[in-house]
Amino acid sequence: MAKPLQNALGGLTLVVMLIALYLVFMWVPTEIDQGIVQRIFYFHVPCAWVAFASFGLVAIAGIFYLWLGGQIWDDLGYAAAEVGMLFCTLVLITGSLWAKPIWGTWWTWDSRLTTTFVLWLMYGGYLMLRAMADDSPQIARYGAVIGIVAALDVPVVIISVRLWRTIHPAVLVTRQGGHGLEDMRMVVTLLVSLAAFTLLFAWLLMLRFSELRMRSRLNAAAREIAIARLRVGAA
Amino acid sequence: MAAPVIETHALGKTFGLAPVLRDTAFRLLPGAAAIVIGGNGTGKSTLLKILSGLVAPSDGYALVFGEDTRRFSPRYRRRIGMVSHQSFLYPSLTARENLEFYADLYGIADASAAADSWLERVGLADFGKERVRTFSRGMEQRLAVARAMIHGPSLLLLDEPFAALDTDGSARIRSLIKSALDEGCSVLATAHQPFEIDDVAFDLYEIVRGQVAPLEEKEEVRRGGRLRSLLRPRSS
Amino acid sequence: MRPFAAILRKDLMLELRSGRTTTALVSLALLVLVVLAFALDRAIAGGSDAAAGAMWVALVFAGMLGATRVMLAEQENGCLRALLLSPVDRATLYAAKLAAAFIFMLGAALAAMILAILFFNLEFSNAFGTLSVALLLGALGFSALATLLAAISARARGGELLLPILIVPLFVPALIAGVKASASALSGAQFAAAGQWFGVLAAFDVLFVAAGYLLFEHVVGEE
Repeated sequence: MAKPLQNALGGLTLVVMLIALYLVFMWVPTEIDQGIVQRIFYFHVPCAWVAFASFGLVAIAGIFYLWLGGQIWDDLGYAAAEVGMLFCTLVLITGSLWAKPIWGTWWTWDSRLTTTFVLWLMYGGYLMLRAMADDSPQIARYGAVIGIVAALDVPVVIISVRLWRTIHPAVLVTRQGGHGLEDMRMVVTLLVSLAAFTLLFAWLLMLRFSELRMRSRLNAAAREIAIARLRVGAA
Repeated sequence: MAAPVIETHALGKTFGLAPVLRDTAFRLLPGAAAIVIGGNGTGKSTLLKILSGLVAPSDGYALVFGEDTRRFSPRYRRRIGMVSHQSFLYPSLTARENLEFYADLYGIADASAAADSWLERVGLADFGKERVRTFSRGMEQRLAVARAMIHGPSLLLLDEPFAALDTDGSARIRSLIKSALDEGCSVLATAHQPFEIDDVAFDLYEIVRGQVAPLEEKEEVRRGGRLRSLLRPRSS
Repeated sequence: MRPFAAILRKDLMLELRSGRTTTALVSLALLVLVVLAFALDRAIAGGSDAAAGAMWVALVFAGMLGATRVMLAEQENGCLRALLLSPVDRATLYAAKLAAAFIFMLGAALAAMILAILFFNLEFSNAFGTLSVALLLGALGFSALATLLAAISARARGGELLLPILIVPLFVPALIAGVKASASALSGAQFAAAGQWFGVLAAFDVLFVAAGYLLFEHVVGEE
């Protein structure tokens, strides 16, 4: 990735994030029921959006990798999985931090949090596969397959978990997530925060992706050198 | 001249950072017999795996029966028979059951008859009902050859067919290879040392620094002084 | 069709000879249920919910063992390579392996069902039909998933740990639906009451059998 583009993106991310932080902590009115703690919402929801979108990206990269070949698709998928995992973890942490003051427990099995947790486990499986096995095209193919299969499963997970929680209403009231925002300022803050986190994701993705690209290119060069050495008869 | 059965173009294979084969240009004509010689780890097995379509090359490509091995259609896989280090036999099944299974798999018309006839041909007719687990290495190898040939392939790929066989076992395998050649099959075998079969002229090749090259006459003389018998090549 | 039948028959023949996989599956199902019976002691009085859960726990763990063995059976003497060399197309190979895994899982499911009902003191009655359908659908979905992933775990380092980590999150929807449907059946409700859960199970099965069909060729090849 071109350095200037990366830096420009980084700069833009910083600016929008600062604006978002200002809006969240200074501008938006405090919500009546939950008080100040509710502001976590403006971090929690964008992180969730990014985590799920990133997962879709892993799957799409996987499809292209299986279809077209090209190491670049595998690098993209792997980078998206790593960065996505980061944001997914943040969703769970912010969710937990939100739950404690409001409902008194560190964890609730409400439908959205549960679905995110399952997603987190899927990410974990993907990353564990890549970490435990070596860096061969075969493993990259396996990663692609898992990414695709997991992404196909997510809608089914969402539906089944929602049914699960509807039939047996949770002890705790379901969190409102994104609906019933009375004040227009809350909507604006949410959207800006969404933009900020999306940019942050894009920037981190770009960083990680270019690292992986560099590594792939180095490997390709090393392979060429090894072949040349073989040709010449070096040890 | 007939189209070659095997033709490779700048074929190469690298595992991770270790190149095994490179820039290989090799040809096998229909009805011909060739031996590729090399020590351990020189890429003999890899070459066969690529030619059979099991492994994709890293560089270049190979054409078998005119078709790119990367896109190997079932039609062409049907025409190949392979004998490997591994026997491809199920130890808990009997010899007959193994052959019948593979005959079924390849869609042979009368699988039991084919199984019986091949047991006969490889001299294992009396052992048809024995489990492969109980077989000696020589018997296993004979059965493996029967398995590879039961579907009537036009190309036989043999990976070190005589490894760990005694004189008697080797003799039997030799005659099986000869009868395959007599039936018009093309044969490509790999080995540590060149081997001979009466009335068969093999083209000899060697893997030198990852490339398949014709075996140099003087190279061989230097190695042991044994002269290669000069027989007219089968195909001109 | 013929290669499919040949491969399936071969797998069943192998199993008939050794009986190892079935023994392992049934034993594991039994052991899991024993552990749960002791661990959930008070639940025994309560019955259907705990029993349904226990049944599915046993099914999942037995299934992970069974599915791996179906693929591993081909590793001996390189027989998987021989299958790949043959004209059999990968989708047919997948179907045959799936069928074999499914049959083995049915054995485990049957054992789990009988033992759970026994240990958790339940009424058999007409819940049997609904319960069987739930277990059947669950076993099919699990087999589809596991056959696809077992090929992966066989190749990667630390594969035995990897398979559960990969399968469990993916199986969650079927697990939820299966347990709910089973609990509903065991508590005497009609089939229709669990309708939506069967919908989820059916959707899951269709999804993963199709995915397996399409993606199997990518996991079963070599370098």
